[in-house]
Amino acid sequence: MKPGLDAILFDPPGPVPFERAWRWQRTLQQRLLADPRGPETLLILEHPGCYTLGRGASLDHLGFDPAAPPAPLFRIDRGGEVTHHLPGQLVAYPVLNLQRHGADLHLYLRQLEGVVLDVLGQLGLAGQRLEGLTGVWLEGRKLAAIGVGARRWISQHGLALNVNCDLDGFAAIVPCGLADHGVGRLCDWLPGLRPDQVQPLLRDAIAERFGLTLRPPKDSERLRG
Amino acid sequence: MRALAAPGNKILATHDIFMPALSSTMTEGKIVEWLKKPGDPVARGESVLVVESDKADMDVEAFQEGFLAAVLMPAGETAPVGETIGLIVETEAEIAAAQASAPSAPVAAAAAPAIVSSPVPAAAPPAPAAAAAPAPQPVAVAPPAPPANGRLVATPRARKLAKQLGVALETLRGTGPHGRIQAEDVELASGQPVSVPRVAEGSAAYAPAAAGSAAGAPGGGNGASPAPSAAMGQAFGRPGDTVAFNTLQQAVNRNMLASLTVPCFHVGYTITTDRLDAFYKQVKGKGVTMTALLAKAVGVVLARHPQVNGAYTDAGMAYPATVNVAVAVAMDDGGLLTPVLKDANTIDLYSLSRTWADLVARSRTKQLKPDEYSTGTFTLSNLGMFGVDRFDAILPPGTGAILAVAASRPTVMAGNDGSIAVKRQMQVNLTADHRVIYGAHGAAFLKDLANLIETNPESLAL
Repeated sequence: MKPGLDAILFDPPGPVPFERAWRWQRTLQQRLLADPRGPETLLILEHPGCYTLGRGASLDHLGFDPAAPPAPLFRIDRGGEVTHHLPGQLVAYPVLNLQRHGADLHLYLRQLEGVVLDVLGQLGLAGQRLEGLTGVWLEGRKLAAIGVGARRWISQHGLALNVNCDLDGFAAIVPCGLADHGVGRLCDWLPGLRPDQVQPLLRDAIAERFGLTLRPPKDSERLRG
Repeated sequence: MRALAAPGNKILATHDIFMPALSSTMTEGKIVEWLKKPGDPVARGESVLVVESDKADMDVEAFQEGFLAAVLMPAGETAPVGETIGLIVETEAEIAAAQASAPSAPVAAAAAPAIVSSPVPAAAPPAPAAAAAPAPQPVAVAPPAPPANGRLVATPRARKLAKQLGVALETLRGTGPHGRIQAEDVELASGQPVSVPRVAEGSAAYAPAAAGSAAGAPGGGNGASPAPSAAMGQAFGRPGDTVAFNTLQQAVNRNMLASLTVPCFHVGYTITTDRLDAFYKQVKGKGVTMTALLAKAVGVVLARHPQVNGAYTDAGMAYPATVNVAVAVAMDDGGLLTPVLKDANTIDLYSLSRTWADLVARSRTKQLKPDEYSTGTFTLSNLGMFGVDRFDAILPPGTGAILAVAASRPTVMAGNDGSIAVKRQMQVNLTADHRVIYGAHGAAFLKDLANLIETNPESLAL
């Protein structure tokens, strides 16, 4: 067993406003750009209700006026169409130097799907990839959305896995621009399942797949703001 | 980098921005957004545009400082990987000229290749780009020497270690290339045990690797400079150690093993290089390297011998659309990469030289994108700088042939008329997949290559 790559885990309790978590990711990305040999990072958290659009996303998939959204709306530096975040959904944002992980963005997307499939497997569920689409489905319903951005192969953004969140907010959008695919959540298959039970599975699946040895941040590595 | 003939026949240095390969499975990418407008200044490393493929975005950065002169593909359009999508020029004054000579942006998303390779008058080549990177070195450790220009040259790891261990870098003599201070030098100076080489974290896992132990010599001439003199040979462990293969070495191992399933043969040729050497002396000052000269020569001849540029596939003999000459470069920390000089037959010699310097610099820092090391259609392996008189190379998977180039050495030659002369000669040795390339193909290719190098190397600058 080879020693894993040094990686910092940030798993703040309670929902973190999207803009804050985004600022953290950019800080971490900057650190890794400045020192590409430095530690990688994994953020696992939940967001208060919000919507995000990929940089090239179409506004046609919004069921509301972008000037007056039902929850904060952000256009962010990732690929993909609109998605929705809210409590009860775990998001994982690996800030990795992808040069250490194959330097291949499609491969990275497939690895993130693999992470979700691993978590589902741990829970006794057989998730699916759909050919030509990015994400993870279970019985035709999309459980996990994936979108990433990178600069000089340093990643940000990542995946969102619906655990026991309210699905109503998804009705206001066409998630990921896919009209024919419903959205699902894990608690529909495993009643009573909570994010705090899934979090360790997600954390370990990511560590395993990317060969990371996770540790808490040192004082000098803490995120402010 | 390329040179455009601008109106008034002034030569203009422009740098292409290509659609990058974000994945080995990416064939085209969508331009999401141009972060700069034509006319905007760009700094080296600054993001110029954003490309999307699938659910992934990547910022594309400028590798040169200058000005964005032209956007050849607007946001929202899709371009094939490798397509020129924008132009950067070095000075503000060149913007208008570059725009004037640039191909107009395709109106539709047509994939019309935006290739502008005007012949460059040899008289007025663009000035070589400011020394981009420390000159990469052949695999052997150079004799310890202080840095030539008095500047402190140390690897990032050495700098970090020096900080941690409280070693003053100024006090050290580096054992790395050009006297570069390596981590081991710092460890030795601090009395720390020298650690075994770290496991490389490379992007190179998919690199088609070439000859068992080949090295490119971007700066060094093929035999034009003497081989590095007495120094310790490279080893990755100390006596008694067993050292695990790093990722890149494992990738090379796989590729070397794969070659065992290919029925290869070798065919050799002795080429007289006096004229090439003389020409090299003329253009060396303009930033031309022997590697670029050889790659250009091979590219030009390959274009006339498509069979030798071909490769075996299950479906049949594949003839690549372009001539992409890969050149093997040994990595200091083990393994080797094969950065690719795309369109070596059509890109001008000066641009090839600059591209090569950039590729080698980035391959050392593991910053190459997959399409920059995996798209070779023919490989060149040059050990001339060590003075070897001949060697043969192992065929990289997915290609049909590799050429092993040895040193050029003074040789006593007998002429047909009984005369005796001393001329410089080098041996080249072609390894080819016999399923695609037959002996006669290889021999005809080598005869043409020798003819070009012996009688008309000056044409390589046209």
